Amino acid sequence: MPAITLYGARKNYGGSAPDAVSDLDLVIDDGEFMCLLGPSGCGKTTTLRMVAGLEHLSGGRIAVGERVVDCVTSGTFVSPEKRGMGLVFQSYALWPHMTIERNTDFGLRLRKVPRAERQERVEKVMKTLGIEKYRDRYPSQLSGGQQQRVALARMLAVNPDVLLLDEPLSNLDARLRLEMRAELKRLHEEFKTTIVFVTHDQWEAMTLATSIAVMSEGALQQVGTPNDIYERPANRFVAEFVGSPPINIVEMGEGSTNPLAVSARAYFARHHPRLADIGSIGMRPESVAFALDEKAIPDGAFSEKAVVSGVLPTGGSWIIELAAQGAKLFLTTHQPPAISDGDAGWFHIRPETLHVFDAEGVRHAAADTQLRGEVGSTARRATRKVPA
Amino acid sequence: MSAAADRGVPSARPGLWQRLRYRVRIALREPTTLIGILAALLFAYLIIVPILSLLVDAGRVQFGDERRIGTEPGAWTFYYISRALFSPVAGNLFWAPLVNTLSVAFGAIGISLAIGGPLAWLVSRTDMFARRWFATALIVPFMLPAWTFALAWTTLFKNRSVGGQLGWFEALGLTPPDWLAYGQVPITIILALNYIPFFILLFGNALRRFDSQLEDSARMLGARSSTVALKIIGPMMLPALMSAIILAFAKCIGEFGVPYVLGLPVNYDLLATGLYRSISSRQTGVAAVLAAAIMLIGIVSLLIDARLVREARKFVTVGNKGAMARQSALGPLRIPATAFAALIFLISVGLPLLTLTLSTVMRVPANFALSNFTLDYWIGTNLETVALRTGILLSPALWSAAFNTLTIVGTASICSGLLGLLVGYVVVRTPLRPLAVFLRQVTFLPYLVPGIAFAAAYLSLFAVQRGPIPALYGTAAILMLALVADQMPYASRAGISAMMQLGKDPEEAAQVSGAGWFRRMVSIVVPIQKGALVTGILLPFISGIKGLSLFVILAVPATDVLTTYSLRLVDYNYTQAANAVVLIIAAIAYFGTLLAQKLTKTNLADGLGS
Ligand SMILES: Nc1ncnc2c1ncn2[C@@H]1O[C@H](COP(=O)(O)OP(=O)(O)OP(=O)(O)O)[C@@H](O)[C@H]1O
Ligand SMILES: [Mg+2]
Repeated sequence: MPAITLYGARKNYGGSAPDAVSDLDLVIDDGEFMCLLGPSGCGKTTTLRMVAGLEHLSGGRIAVGERVVDCVTSGTFVSPEKRGMGLVFQSYALWPHMTIERNTDFGLRLRKVPRAERQERVEKVMKTLGIEKYRDRYPSQLSGGQQQRVALARMLAVNPDVLLLDEPLSNLDARLRLEMRAELKRLHEEFKTTIVFVTHDQWEAMTLATSIAVMSEGALQQVGTPNDIYERPANRFVAEFVGSPPINIVEMGEGSTNPLAVSARAYFARHHPRLADIGSIGMRPESVAFALDEKAIPDGAFSEKAVVSGVLPTGGSWIIELAAQGAKLFLTTHQPPAISDGDAGWFHIRPETLHVFDAEGVRHAAADTQLRGEVGSTARRATRKVPA
Repeated sequence: MSAAADRGVPSARPGLWQRLRYRVRIALREPTTLIGILAALLFAYLIIVPILSLLVDAGRVQFGDERRIGTEPGAWTFYYISRALFSPVAGNLFWAPLVNTLSVAFGAIGISLAIGGPLAWLVSRTDMFARRWFATALIVPFMLPAWTFALAWTTLFKNRSVGGQLGWFEALGLTPPDWLAYGQVPITIILALNYIPFFILLFGNALRRFDSQLEDSARMLGARSSTVALKIIGPMMLPALMSAIILAFAKCIGEFGVPYVLGLPVNYDLLATGLYRSISSRQTGVAAVLAAAIMLIGIVSLLIDARLVREARKFVTVGNKGAMARQSALGPLRIPATAFAALIFLISVGLPLLTLTLSTVMRVPANFALSNFTLDYWIGTNLETVALRTGILLSPALWSAAFNTLTIVGTASICSGLLGLLVGYVVVRTPLRPLAVFLRQVTFLPYLVPGIAFAAAYLSLFAVQRGPIPALYGTAAILMLALVADQMPYASRAGISAMMQLGKDPEEAAQVSGAGWFRRMVSIVVPIQKGALVTGILLPFISGIKGLSLFVILAVPATDVLTTYSLRLVDYNYTQAANAVVLIIAAIAYFGTLLAQKLTKTNLADGLGS
C-alpha cells in the first residue's frame, strides 16, 4: 500500500466558521503507525474523515500513492466505499439491527469472501478481541468498551490496507486499554497495515506511534517520531502540549522583567553571547535538577536560587515544586528526594537540554547548533517536507 | 501536474468555477441528490400546482359560465369573487357559512377547552382515581371519525322534519325541537366532544413537562396555591394552550363530515359544506373562492401557531435537568373529579358507541323489547329494504367498498410512508441545502390546507386533461395522489425525525466497509428504520380510512370507499346499515392506532405534538 499524501488539504464547514483544517501538508508512509495528536476540536477527526472520503475538501488534494482520490481543482473524488480503508468511529457506529457476528462479517460479505474463509476470519478476529462470547447479541446489549472492540473487529476482519482509528481506546478501562494497545501494535507489525490513529492522549501516541502529527486549531504543528516530538518540539505549542508535568517555560521577550528571565538573559550573555532573538526557553521537568549545595552545579549549566515548595510522590517517581525568583518550576526525579518543603538551594539544567524558542515561539535553530552541537536546521528534521 | 507549480502555490484557493464543478460532482456522485430533485418535482406537481390551479380558478372564467359573464372561458374575471362576496346571493354562498363556521368553531373550542383543560390537568398532574386508564380512554374519540358521533346524534335526536327512521326520542314521543336535532347546536357539541382529546393531549403534555420545582420554589417564597397557579403555571402554560386552541381551530374550519350529516338536512351550511354544495352544483369558480377562503383561514391560524410555538421555545429550557412532575393531591375532591372524568368518557365515547351499536341490532328505534332485536342488519337475507336486501356483512357493496378502501388507502399509505422516509433521507443527507429546505417546506404545505379545499384543488387540476396527464377524475389514481399529498406532512415529518435520530455514522461505517448507495439502503437504512416506516404507513392509513372530505369530492361510485358508502347509506336513510359501516370504520381506526402505538412504543400524543 502506497503512502497517503495530503497536499494543502483544507476543510471549512461553511458559514463564517474558521477552517476546521487549514492547508494541511502531510505524508503518511506505507506501513506507518501515525498518530494525530492534539487538543479537543483541533481537527483530528475532520482530517481522518477527509482521508476516508467522508468529508469533502474545501481546497487542496489527497492522493493514495500515485492515485489522486480527492482534488478540488481537478474535480476528482473517489467515494469512500472505493478507497478500501477501514475506519473505526469515535462513536463506534455499530449497526443496531445486526448481531455482533453480522456486524463483524458485513464487510467480508460485501467482498464476496467464500463462506468458510469468512467464518474463519471472523472467528479469529473475534477471539483476538475477546468478543466471541457476544456473537449473538445486539450492540445495545454490550457495554461501551465491548462495543468499541466490536467496532474494531468489524474493520480488522476485512484486513484493510489502511486502518483509520478515531480514539478507539477512549472507553476502555486502564487494563484493557493496555492490552488493546499491545494488540494494535502487534497487528501493525504483523500485517504491516498502515494505521492512522487519532488521540488526545499523549502517552497513547508516544507508546504506539512510529510518527506523530501534532495539530492545533486546524493547523499542523509538527510531524516526527515520538522522540523528535518530545526532544525537539518545533514550537511552543508542541513543547507545552506534550509532556506531563508540562514543560517549564520562562518568558524572555524584550519587556519581560521577571527575575528568572533577567537571570536567564545574563546566563546567555555570559555563556552564549552570539545567540540573539530569544523569546522564551523551556526546561523539561526531568532535565531540571535541584542541589542544596552550590558546588554540585555542573559547569556551564543554567542555575538559579530556588526554594522547595512541595514534594509530590506519584508512585515510583516524585514531582518537586520549586519557587525560583517568584516563578514556579516543576522537576521530576526517580530517586527518592532527600529534601522537604522550605529547603533552599539551587535548581540547575544543562544547556544541551534547554529548549530555546524565538519571539514567534518557533524553535531556535541557531540555539540547537550552539547548545547541542547539532549541524543544520532542526526545523527541517522535525517537519518532513511533502514531496511533490 | 508539475511538482514546481504545485509547490509554488501551496495555498492557492481553487477558483469559483472549480469549486462549483467539484461540488456538483460530489452531489451527483450518489443518487441522493438526484432522487431529491425528482421528489421535489413530484411534490411541486402534487402539492403546489393543484393549489395554484385552484387559486387561478377563482379568478378565471370557467367553462359554462361564458355566457353569464360575457367573456370566453379562461379570461381573467372578478365575477366569482364578487358573486361570492358582494352579490345578492353572497349571504347564502359565503357570509352565512363563514359566520356559521366561525361561531361553530369558537363555540366548539370554548366548550372543549372548558372541559378538556381541567381534564388535562386531572390526568396529568393529580391523584385522580384510575388516572392512567382515563389518560387513554379519554382520547379514544380522537381515533374515531368525528361523524361517527354525528350519526350517533341523529340516531338519538332525529325528528320528523326529515324523512327516514326516527330518532329514539321521537320514537318515545318526545319530539326534539329542530335546533336540538340539527344545525348549530349539535354540530358545536359534537365537534367540542371530538376536540376534547386534543386538549388533553397537547395541553396535558405541556403540563407534564412543567417542572414542579418551579412551583415549589414559589411556594417556598410564601406564595399561596392560587398565586402559584395564576403567576407561575398560568403564564408558562399559555403558549401551549394557545397553540392547542389554534390547531383545533384550523382543524375545525375544514371539518366536513359532521356538518354534512347534521347541517345539510336543514340547509345549515359551513364553509366546507358550502364548498361541497358549490362543487355538486358545478359552480367551480365560486367553489374556488370558498376553498381559497378556507385555506386562508387555515394558513393564517397556523402562522399564528408557528409564532406561538417559537414563543414557547423560549420557555423550554426552563424545565430540563432534574425536572419532575409532582402530583397534586385532590383531597376530598378526588371522587367528584373522577366522576367528572367518567361522565365525560360516558358522553364522548360510551354513549355514542353504545347508541350506534344498539341501533344496528334494533328494528324500530327505542323499542327495547327483546323481539325488536335482530342481527338482520348485519347478516340477514331477504330484507324488505329496496337497495340493500341483505345484512351489511353479506352485501357485496360493502365488500367492494372495503376492498377499494384497502387498495386505495393502502397503496397511498405505502407510497406516503416510503416517500416520507425518502424525503427524510434526502433532507438529512443531501449536500444541497436549498433542496433540503424546499422538500421540508413543500411536504408540510398540505397541513395548511384543509382536506376539503385540497380535494377541490385536485378536482380543479385533474378534472380535465392537461398536457400528457389524462383527466383523472373518476379514477382511483386521483384519490391516491390526493391522499399521498394530504398525508405528506405527517409522513415526511416522521421520516425526517427518524433520519435525524439515526445520524450518519452507521451509514458511513457501511460506506467505508465498501457498501455502495443501494446496498446501504437495503442493508442499513431501511432495516434500522423499519419501525418508523411501519408507523409512516400505518398512521396515514388510519387517517385515510376515516377521512371523508377527500373522498366525498373525488370519489365516484366506481371508487366507492367505506366512508362514502356509509354516507350514501345515510342519504338513503338506511340508518342501521350506515351505522354498522361507521362502526366497522371506527373499529379499524381504533385497533390500527393501538397497533401503531404498540409497534413503535410511542404515544399518539408525541406524534401530535410535533
Ligand atoms: N459537521 C460539522 N459542522 C460544523 N463544524 C464542525 C463539524 N464537525 C466538526 N466541526 C468543527 O470543526 C472543528 C474540528 O472538529 P473535529 O471533530 O475534527 O475535532 P477533533 O480534533 O476530532 O476533536 P475531539 O478530540 O473532541 O474529537 C471543531 O471546531 C468543530 O466544532
Ligand atoms: Mg474527534
